[in-house]
Amino acid sequence: MTNFLSLILIVLLLSIFAGLIRVFRGPAPAERMLAAQLFGTASVAILLVLSQVMQMQALLDVALVFALLGAVTLVAFVVLAERGAR
Amino acid sequence: MIDPLVIFDLLLALGIVALAVAALATRESFAMIVVFIVFGLVSALAWVRLSAPDVALAEAAIGTGVTGALLLKTLHHLRCATGQPGQNATQAQISAPPVPVGVTLANAAFCGLITLGLAVAFLGAPAAGPGFEGLVAQAMPQSGVEHPVTAVLLNFRAYDTLMEVVVLLAAVIAVWQIERGLSDAPAPVMGEVWQGFARLALPAIVVVGTYLLWVGAEAPGGAFQGGAVLAAVGLLLLLTRAYVPQPAHRGIARGAFVLGTAAFALVALLVASGGRVAFEYPLAHAKTLILLIEGMVTLSIAVTLAALFHGREPMALKHEGKDDT
Repeated sequence: MTNFLSLILIVLLLSIFAGLIRVFRGPAPAERMLAAQLFGTASVAILLVLSQVMQMQALLDVALVFALLGAVTLVAFVVLAERGAR
Repeated sequence: MIDPLVIFDLLLALGIVALAVAALATRESFAMIVVFIVFGLVSALAWVRLSAPDVALAEAAIGTGVTGALLLKTLHHLRCATGQPGQNATQAQISAPPVPVGVTLANAAFCGLITLGLAVAFLGAPAAGPGFEGLVAQAMPQSGVEHPVTAVLLNFRAYDTLMEVVVLLAAVIAVWQIERGLSDAPAPVMGEVWQGFARLALPAIVVVGTYLLWVGAEAPGGAFQGGAVLAAVGLLLLLTRAYVPQPAHRGIARGAFVLGTAAFALVALLVASGGRVAFEYPLAHAKTLILLIEGMVTLSIAVTLAALFHGREPMALKHEGKDDT
């Protein structure tokens, strides 16, 4: 079971690395930013699986913080982009 | 067969180095910021794999809640300052003057020295020493809390932690000395998406921040993590101008900046006046005192981080005109 979960972890991490292509190639800022936002979701998934694998309850709290605060950067991006355009 | 978890760790380690190199090598400032945000995210995962959930929590709260927004704001500010606000600000390029070769070499030498020092320290450390775990475990009953990290931070080495709180205070004092500015008028309420998000997220962030503070006594969490999470509320309010820093609120803000340091120092003085060493809390009250300090420090950290994000002392309200946040 642990091996299976570890494989899932690898797949999730590789999905982040695959998404990096969009961050590097862009070209629009929104594309880069949204890719980074998706990594937040992948990280939550990784943390949830890790909390099982490592038997560490506290990781659920870390996942919670990631899920809650992930949007802050996005709000900053949207607000500042709009302000600049004015 | 190799344990798949080892492969995961290897990928993680390689990814971190690659992201660090990419963040430095990218020439486009916006892409650089995004890569740095991703770098923070992946390093939080690395802290988890190193069995340091406290650090991972701090990295998650600071990295996702504050750093990204702060860097984006700085970029926006730079573009406004260099006179490119007319075009689509997120696509404007900042052309920095080329760095002289001498500066690059000096930087490289300096970083090389630090790396060398770290390598020497790492190689010099005992390979499988007992560390301080045994000592901490032994002293835990006298700490008043159940979580070793909190016991070390707020009890065994409370003096260091006090100094760390002072650092934040010093930072905000410096910023307020350097930057004084106008606050924009409160903006009209943002669209429906924001309102729905605010209704759901803001109370949840407050609850989670307070929870992290409370749970710090027995599990990973504590003042810094809680404060950083609560600071995100301030950031969101400032960004959307639901709250605009007003000159009249400076007194309250100053009080909040000092609160953590003052409460911390006061407890130390009170304990010392009872004929003990400064941070030698009486066991019966240890947990109460630690939670009191942490509560005040949490408030201070949250307000200070938000003030640092705003980046200037509010001197007057601006009612119309170009905004330069």
